[in-house]
Amino acid sequence: MTQTAAKPGPKTVIEARGITKRFQGLVSVNAVSFSIAEDEILGVIGPNGAGKTTMVNMLSGTYTPNEGEILFEGTRINEVPTFRRAHMGIARTFQVMKPFPGMTALENVTVGALFGRDGGEKSMPAARERAREWLEFTGLGHRIDNPADSLGGPDRKRLEFAKALAMGPRLLLLDEVMAGLNPVEVDEVVDLIKKMRGKGIAMLVIEHVVKAIRSLSDRVMVLHHGEKIADGDPTAVLADPRVIEAYLGKRRT
Amino acid sequence: MNRPLLIVSLLVAAGLATLPWLGSDTMIQFGINALLLATLAQSWNILGGFTGYVSFGNSVFYGLGTYGTAIAMTNYNLPFGVGLAIGAVVAMIAALLVGLPILRLRGPYFAIATLGLNGAMMAIFSNLPIAGSNIGLVLPLTRNDAMFYELALGLLVACSLTVLWISRARFGMGLIAVREDEDAAGSMGVNATRYKVAALVMASFFTAIAGGIHAYWSTFVDPASAFDSTLNVRMVISVVFGGPGTVLGPVIGSFILSTVYEVLASQISTAAALLFGVVIVLAVIFMPKGLADILRSRRNLTWRYFIRNIRENRL
Amino acid sequence: MVLAQILLNGILLGGLYGLMALGMALVWGVLNIVNLSHGALIMLGGYVVYYLFTIGGIDPFVALPIAMLVMFAVGFLLQYYLLNLVVRSKMLNTLLITFGLDVVLTYLAQLTFSADFRTINPPYAGANFALFGLTVPSVRLAAFVVAIVLAAALWFLLHRMALGRAIRATAQNLVAARLYGVNPSVLYAVTFGIGTALAGAAGGLYGMIANLTPYIGASLTAKSFVIAIIGGLSNPFYVIFGGIFVGIAESLTALYIGPTYSDVISFGLLVVVLVLRPNRTLRTS
Repeated sequence: MTQTAAKPGPKTVIEARGITKRFQGLVSVNAVSFSIAEDEILGVIGPNGAGKTTMVNMLSGTYTPNEGEILFEGTRINEVPTFRRAHMGIARTFQVMKPFPGMTALENVTVGALFGRDGGEKSMPAARERAREWLEFTGLGHRIDNPADSLGGPDRKRLEFAKALAMGPRLLLLDEVMAGLNPVEVDEVVDLIKKMRGKGIAMLVIEHVVKAIRSLSDRVMVLHHGEKIADGDPTAVLADPRVIEAYLGKRRT
Repeated sequence: MNRPLLIVSLLVAAGLATLPWLGSDTMIQFGINALLLATLAQSWNILGGFTGYVSFGNSVFYGLGTYGTAIAMTNYNLPFGVGLAIGAVVAMIAALLVGLPILRLRGPYFAIATLGLNGAMMAIFSNLPIAGSNIGLVLPLTRNDAMFYELALGLLVACSLTVLWISRARFGMGLIAVREDEDAAGSMGVNATRYKVAALVMASFFTAIAGGIHAYWSTFVDPASAFDSTLNVRMVISVVFGGPGTVLGPVIGSFILSTVYEVLASQISTAAALLFGVVIVLAVIFMPKGLADILRSRRNLTWRYFIRNIRENRL
Repeated sequence: MVLAQILLNGILLGGLYGLMALGMALVWGVLNIVNLSHGALIMLGGYVVYYLFTIGGIDPFVALPIAMLVMFAVGFLLQYYLLNLVVRSKMLNTLLITFGLDVVLTYLAQLTFSADFRTINPPYAGANFALFGLTVPSVRLAAFVVAIVLAAALWFLLHRMALGRAIRATAQNLVAARLYGVNPSVLYAVTFGIGTALAGAAGGLYGMIANLTPYIGASLTAKSFVIAIIGGLSNPFYVIFGGIFVGIAESLTALYIGPTYSDVISFGLLVVVLVLRPNRTLRTS
């Protein structure tokens, strides 16, 4: 604690120190280190199979790293189970959207409010009220009573956001929330993410849409074959020849 | 469940409470059986309906409640109420011991792990001298069907009110989230294992009390009747037929099935059992969301409803 | 010496147990259906062999392939006309429907075959021979051999034949199966049919060793499930090994604790295995 207090500038929310994940001998993420501070947005890009989702899974608790350490607000959380990390303030969205299909939009978000940080809101009416606010915030206010599985693509993404935000997170992990959206919808989501800035949340945004990453991120990290090959100012990183070769070059062909 | 429906349900329950003064002996006896079965179904619903974890072993809690009451009353001359409490506590401990390891497992593992449970318990109790081994135990005779009827009705009401509470509470939201998507529920902060075990323990409580009431009423307990695996069939079918995860569905479903069973069983019991199986198969195909969903969407209920259910799930 | 004899009994019985689980593992691995009526299908196969033997006068080992054909047809039709209707829904629903099917088959069997005990009793049923001082019951040895042969045949089918490749592709991914130019509905039905045929063979052999009643299904389903979990779903021989493991465990329990505890042991083994390796994915990879 004294260490972080001594440092100038905003507080570090999450820090990864050389985290490695192997699956039956195949290295998916290799000794990656990074940190995200309050109100900071870290963009993560990399070709398919670069280990981006595996990394999110390690941060959220689905996987335990084979090596390295994950520190959340200075506490080591390597072995902390998923639900407890949610109580600590880690929220995520899934690459494949996972709304609770049998519930309405409001009920979906209410679950987030009921069980999020510090075990969530204990009273149902208060949780529902909080859920309603987040649905308004994400622009789903007019669909609160619709069943989640009746929502279309962009609205599902909004729902995922609202669910994660209702948990009152300190760290928000967004795994390809723009995939499958058209340019107009992408802009809407970018605006939404920008709207969340200033709430003291650290954000990790995995994305393929380079334009979005450029306009959102305070810093960009590039993964390639599970290794970090760049980390820094978005413009500089996206101009780095190694990054272009590893990732952007292929996309442009 | 909305307020008018709740009021109507409570009025119906109050009406049912008058049956011992109005009905014949056979009706009261049928009523006791039907109410106890409805309680078993409603208990099964707490875990099966809300979390989607199918248990084929709830009969074990019934058996433990049965034996707990019987052993307390015959071997130790304890009063009926104490026997019920002992049976319930034993069943809840068993639910905890069984649930903690196997409810950490996902989906089918749990279901099939519970398949072996009934057989295992039956084997243990058949060899247990304190439980009368193979022969069983005879309880003191009490000819008071009205009392047993009111007890069974009270238990069903208590169990249903518990389910009503669950359906509105934070606890229930957690259970439903687990059913809808366990990974997502976990990442949102639901301690899935704890919730599932808590649901199983609650179910075991009501199931065991029902077993205890039945033991004292029938005055005889042996391994085959206490650990009767067809009870699991009846619980599952009542809930699936009535509507899993609803408050009234399991009760209505089990009442209908009890009636059908009563009518058929007086003819041929095998045919009744066969019919149960057919109903499960057809219910899963045509109405996987149960009778409750059909009643809810009754305004625009046509044959399309059933076709849609098939379309959604076929290959 | 007693121990050696017990181990031999366990191994021979275990081969049959493995065969019982083979069909369940196949259907589970490929179709993602945990078939709760598997035990009832084993029971049905037993009765088919029984009637071929008692009424048709056909030697039970000759009747076995006939019963397998019959059971293949039963399985094919069940999957094609019934289970394909729910195969995409939640696992809860496939569990429930096969559970319902188990009830239907059990009580149909009771109506048709009555609840009496039946045993398939060919003239050589009691025959045995001595080997290194141990008694080897001929029928049990034959059952063991049949189990191994069928496991090998299944392995060959899955790994060396086009149909098997299509089946394994389906296990991975339904879309991939379409690339093989096979109608998935038919492929599912064929797979379930093969699983049912294997159950039928197991039932025929079971009827030569133990009593057939309409009610044996549930406990055989549970046993098959335990073995499928222990052996995994990827390799038929592992399933047989799983069966042998359970067979030995049961024989030892019967010797040292008491024969009525065999259900307790199956359940205990299951819990132990599940808890020891809970994260192991069972589907074929």
